Amino acid sequence: MTRVNLAGAAAIALAALTVAACGKAAPGTTSQSSAAPSASSALSPTTPAPSGEAGKITWATYRDVGTIDPIQAFDYPENTVITTLCDSLARQAPDGSIGPGLATLTHPDDKTLVITLKDGPTFWDGKPVTADDVLFSLKRAADPKGGGFYPAVFTRVASMTKTSDKVVTVKLKQPDFWLDGELSQMPGVVLEKAYGESKGRKLGTPQGGLMCSGPFKVGSWKTGSTLNAVRNDDYWDAANKAKVAEIDFRGVPDDSSLTSGFLTGGIDGSYPQGLSTIDQLRAAKDKVTVSNGPSFASDAIVISSLKGALGDVRVRQALSLAIDRKAYIQNVYHGDAQLPRTLANPGTWGYGKDVFQADWNKQPEPTQNLAKAKQLMKQANAAGKTITLGMTSEVQQLATAANAIRSAGDAIGLKVKFKAVSAQNFINFFTDPKAREGVDGFPTVNYPDYADPAAFYNTIVMPDGSQNYDAFDDAQITKAMNDARSTGDPAQRAKFVAQAGDRIMQQLPWIPMAAINTVLITSSKLTGAPASFTFMGGPWANLLGATGNGS
Amino acid sequence: MGAFVARRTAMLVAALLVSSFVIFGSLDLAPGDPLSALTGGRTLPPEAVAQLRAQYHLDDPFLVRYVDWLGNAVLHADLGTSIAFRGSVVSVIAARAGVTLSLVAYAGLLIIVFGVGLGVLSGLRRGALDTGIVASTSVLAAVPSFVAAIVLLSIFSVNLGWFPALGAGQGFADRIWHLTLPAIALALSAMAIVVRVTRVAVRTEMGREHVQTAVSRGIPYPLMIRRHVLRNAAIPVTTVVGITITSLIALSAVVERAFSLDGLGAALVQAALSKDFAVVQGISLVFVTAFVFANVLVDVLYAFLDPRVAMGSRAT
Repeated sequence: MTRVNLAGAAAIALAALTVAACGKAAPGTTSQSSAAPSASSALSPTTPAPSGEAGKITWATYRDVGTIDPIQAFDYPENTVITTLCDSLARQAPDGSIGPGLATLTHPDDKTLVITLKDGPTFWDGKPVTADDVLFSLKRAADPKGGGFYPAVFTRVASMTKTSDKVVTVKLKQPDFWLDGELSQMPGVVLEKAYGESKGRKLGTPQGGLMCSGPFKVGSWKTGSTLNAVRNDDYWDAANKAKVAEIDFRGVPDDSSLTSGFLTGGIDGSYPQGLSTIDQLRAAKDKVTVSNGPSFASDAIVISSLKGALGDVRVRQALSLAIDRKAYIQNVYHGDAQLPRTLANPGTWGYGKDVFQADWNKQPEPTQNLAKAKQLMKQANAAGKTITLGMTSEVQQLATAANAIRSAGDAIGLKVKFKAVSAQNFINFFTDPKAREGVDGFPTVNYPDYADPAAFYNTIVMPDGSQNYDAFDDAQITKAMNDARSTGDPAQRAKFVAQAGDRIMQQLPWIPMAAINTVLITSSKLTGAPASFTFMGGPWANLLGATGNGS
Repeated sequence: MGAFVARRTAMLVAALLVSSFVIFGSLDLAPGDPLSALTGGRTLPPEAVAQLRAQYHLDDPFLVRYVDWLGNAVLHADLGTSIAFRGSVVSVIAARAGVTLSLVAYAGLLIIVFGVGLGVLSGLRRGALDTGIVASTSVLAAVPSFVAAIVLLSIFSVNLGWFPALGAGQGFADRIWHLTLPAIALALSAMAIVVRVTRVAVRTEMGREHVQTAVSRGIPYPLMIRRHVLRNAAIPVTTVVGITITSLIALSAVVERAFSLDGLGAALVQAALSKDFAVVQGISLVFVTAFVFANVLVDVLYAFLDPRVAMGSRAT
């Protein structure tokens, strides 16, 4: 399960103009002039622990929250809010590792997953979380007619049954060790059965609300406007009780508005994506703290057609070698990204870290090598050929990526044509085969839902992958991925995934551009939120609190 | 008067009908599928897709959907369901209309008070003040509202901290405080134009024969200004003020975005991006209605200002 970054596509031309006019920050005052760092371990997934409680804060998302129904959530605003309100069966830690959440997951054999609820979890209304609630929530998520986006997660599930008040047993058709990861985020969120049944289709809307067990509960919320969450004072997990009294989740689509919000104290925190005014905020050290952490997200070029020049793996390799990624990273991410040695971001190493690190160290740094690229072009006899890139000039990151590919192409004699669309139509490249007609590739920022490179590769390289647009099928990759899915031991599983990852870098079903970092901005009075991508799948807001030197 | 109201109402209904059809049709022709925007491009099982398509009536033929929509709108005041907000369009509009209304009203007030006020002042008093006003308005008239928004934000909000940078506030005083910068940003260029038009209108009237006659007959200056200059100058000024204020309705989207106000304009932009057709349709119709009403108001004012304009007359 991976998703497209909609935040980028949602930016409009106007916003770009606005930001350009606002760029009054002294250039280069704080941004590092050196190229992106290549060490992956330098990034901390956490921020200093808070020393006290805080009152009401305002948290910005790139647009207002549409729904708080977990099975309909996949984009930044919804996930950010639902991870605040709800608990999943398994829990993602800031470093991406997955541990027990509401329940402990065990595998007595390869084809059985036993979900055992902890003692003590209660919903906001005080009722205990039971196996009936778990079963209701899982079945709802798995039901193709349930209106949710996650049925595919359950394709290997044969049956789910309640085996005691605290236990749900899942029988699998084939071994599936990816299911544990999925149950650490939206499909694993447990809702109260009685409440859910009484609300029906209205569940998760402003009218229907929600009944979860998380550290915050819904305060007030009107359709299409700010959602107010208040601390759940009776949170079952006392050690993880929230230290912030109230959070207003406000949609702030405009970069300059977000920036002035931070500078005036109107906004207290956000996990922004590709914020163009980041240097200005970084310079305002007395007002805001900007933190960088590991992310699940990869910036890459989707190869959507293997029928044209890019059908030849040598041309893909040549193009990849010709890209000046250092300049691109500096330009778009102001240094907040790493050179991608694998397609998956190092932030996705939620298990088998040593294995993945060793693999990363072994991989060459993807620096520009025009001599080798030209040689490959010659071998492929592809000089003078043309490829077409889908792009939009209305979203800066996407336009810059397309231009980076064009200059790479120019340098090796590959002509790169653009098929430019409006920002709001960019998503059609992902969803509409007609939009992809005659297009060889297009830029994207894409991420899995939990820390596992396999969760990302899965959608791209597997023959039935949702983002495998032109039947890319490599026997070695497919086998390594299938082996990983049915391997229980994390280190061994990591080996298979790393193997697939190595082959992916060689075959390049997508061309990686950057392993981007998570950016967290908070008012200097707040600290404690993870600086990593967990805000999309695991608890984060309950970790926030006041800094020692706060008011 | 009755005939006037009847004709105007008929025109409003016709305008709404035509524009609703045009908007509905153009959204239908626009590329992209609301479902794919909703699901972020993930592949869903066919049953799930069918379920969602049925829920939002995406597979019915165009005319069926239009007639359905129109029927619901007229009979039940139901403008459909927002895909992105998972709620009724009416509730989205209701939650946001207040902000846009107060913003446009505030900006309109600024235009009338300062635009007309400074224009009259500038028209009556030749000299340094007049030159200053003319010079500054020529600059301000060329400033688009998003630029004004950024400048105002960085000066009065970020640097001086006098006004909040975002949000619309709660309660009357807080709302005024929150909306002051957005209203100025929205009104600024229109205000400059109104100043200039008013100034020219006043000057023109001052030079007219009947005004000169009044002066020579020794009619007291204030009375002469009120009765002969301002009254006549009010006709072109009303036209311009009317047009500029109605145009604010559409421009509000830009300012609402810049100041992160939860208004209709911001929702319209967001809805268009997420292909939330029902919301685009609903808000567009609200805008069209507001536009028509504002025009009616201007026409009525004409009739009061200028007895030569009969309320029933066809010429507009």
